Amino acid sequence: MLTQNQLKFYHSYLELILYKTYADLRAETERTYLGFLWWVFEPIMYMFVFYVVFAVFMGRKTDNFVPFLLIGLTIWQWMQACLAHGSESILGYRGLMQSVHLPKVIFPIILILTDSTKFIFIFTILLLYLWISGFTIGLPYLALPLVLLVELIFIMAVTFFLAAIVPFLPDIRFVVDKVLQAVFFASGIFFASESIPEQYQIYYYLNPMATIIESSRDILMYNQWPNWQLLFIIGFVSSIGLFLSIRLIAHFEYTYPKVTM
Amino acid sequence: MSKQKILQLDNVGISYNRKGGFLGLGGDVFWALKDVSLSIYQGETVGIIGRNGAGKSTLLQLLAGILLPDKGKLQKFMEHKASLLALQLGFIPYLSGRENAVLSGMLMGMSRKEVEARLPDIIEFSELGEFIDQPVITYSSGMGARLGFSVAYYADPDILLIDEVLGVGDAEFALKSTAAMFEKMQSNKTVVFVSHQTSLVQNLCTRLVWIEEGRTILEGEPETVLAAYMGALEHHTHPTQAA
Repeated sequence: MLTQNQLKFYHSYLELILYKTYADLRAETERTYLGFLWWVFEPIMYMFVFYVVFAVFMGRKTDNFVPFLLIGLTIWQWMQACLAHGSESILGYRGLMQSVHLPKVIFPIILILTDSTKFIFIFTILLLYLWISGFTIGLPYLALPLVLLVELIFIMAVTFFLAAIVPFLPDIRFVVDKVLQAVFFASGIFFASESIPEQYQIYYYLNPMATIIESSRDILMYNQWPNWQLLFIIGFVSSIGLFLSIRLIAHFEYTYPKVTM
Repeated sequence: MSKQKILQLDNVGISYNRKGGFLGLGGDVFWALKDVSLSIYQGETVGIIGRNGAGKSTLLQLLAGILLPDKGKLQKFMEHKASLLALQLGFIPYLSGRENAVLSGMLMGMSRKEVEARLPDIIEFSELGEFIDQPVITYSSGMGARLGFSVAYYADPDILLIDEVLGVGDAEFALKSTAAMFEKMQSNKTVVFVSHQTSLVQNLCTRLVWIEEGRTILEGEPETVLAAYMGALEHHTHPTQAA
């Protein structure tokens, strides 16, 4: 059981995380004329490029390719934004942590919360688009929160791990950038898994994002239940990864303020 | 009068890994603190003196709980919160003064309720008036400094750690803020004060600790310690060799 003091301790950090997230989001909206509308415009502009390339130039307007593509991009962008921003968070706040003691794990949490808030906006718009396009809400929608939860745990595990090691190995950011770019093309954002030769499928599914994106499409487009088994494995392995990453950050708790670059 | 001991350092050292060369392979270990021993008692104002690079700021970071000793022992005799007087901590220029005050106060360890309860005092002390709801980016540097100081002043930890800076802002506010800090130090507040200004240290501190090259050289009455310190400065002798 938690004591009164511990509760107060956790509560104060939770409060700080929420207020800092709010402050960062607000600061972002204050920096531009259109404010929070950018959270919607920016991904729409980004997706529009893909729409033009695939649906118009390459003529794949048929067989629901556009919603297929948009779901993949939306699900992917959430992960990519969290990873890109979160992995630099502990390094980025080293000035602050030299003036005050804070549990370092709160920095990646704040960045993930910030990007997840933006994801909620864009995901809502995606849902509206799908409903307007004639896709219906079926029973499998009940599994949607679970799919998103699995993705969130996966995001947290990877982001925390990167945030933990980037202060010591800043060069790894460039590697992450390139790896993300490569995996982007291998996550089935533009194609369905059926188009991959049988013998490579097993490698394809080693990438958790492939399953998460496919599960989202199953629910949102095909009114089907997701692949429970794969989702469970991803969730389980990510949870272990998350636990270990939190331990790793805690291990270096008092080393991070000493990192000078 | 026997005062209650809050914490004690015994032969504490703190080391840094310095990076150098390709892949950081040419790095070495640097001891910012080598052998520091001291105690902090409730309600006193301890002055830390020593030349540049003596390890004074590292010592404050240790007392603030930002760093842990890499050798030696740190004992806490009572629950306490120690924090640095950090000005404009975590300020975000695009947010209003009020939002920054809340954020900064929370970063310093106050709960949101506590900051909000102290906000009227913070605003009054900062003399910002209705500017408090304007974005900090529109402030003059003096206004930013005033707000930063006011938040830090009202954060009020159990042990206040001050690195050189007492007062800030334009001439008038510098006087006011310095006076407020004097008052705080002379009250029953526990303060650790790092400074180069020997006259200030002599007037404000109840006890002095002299450190040099990461080692405690002398600890005791301000007059005694200062006399020894000034003597060493004049003769350019190396205290670690002299002692």
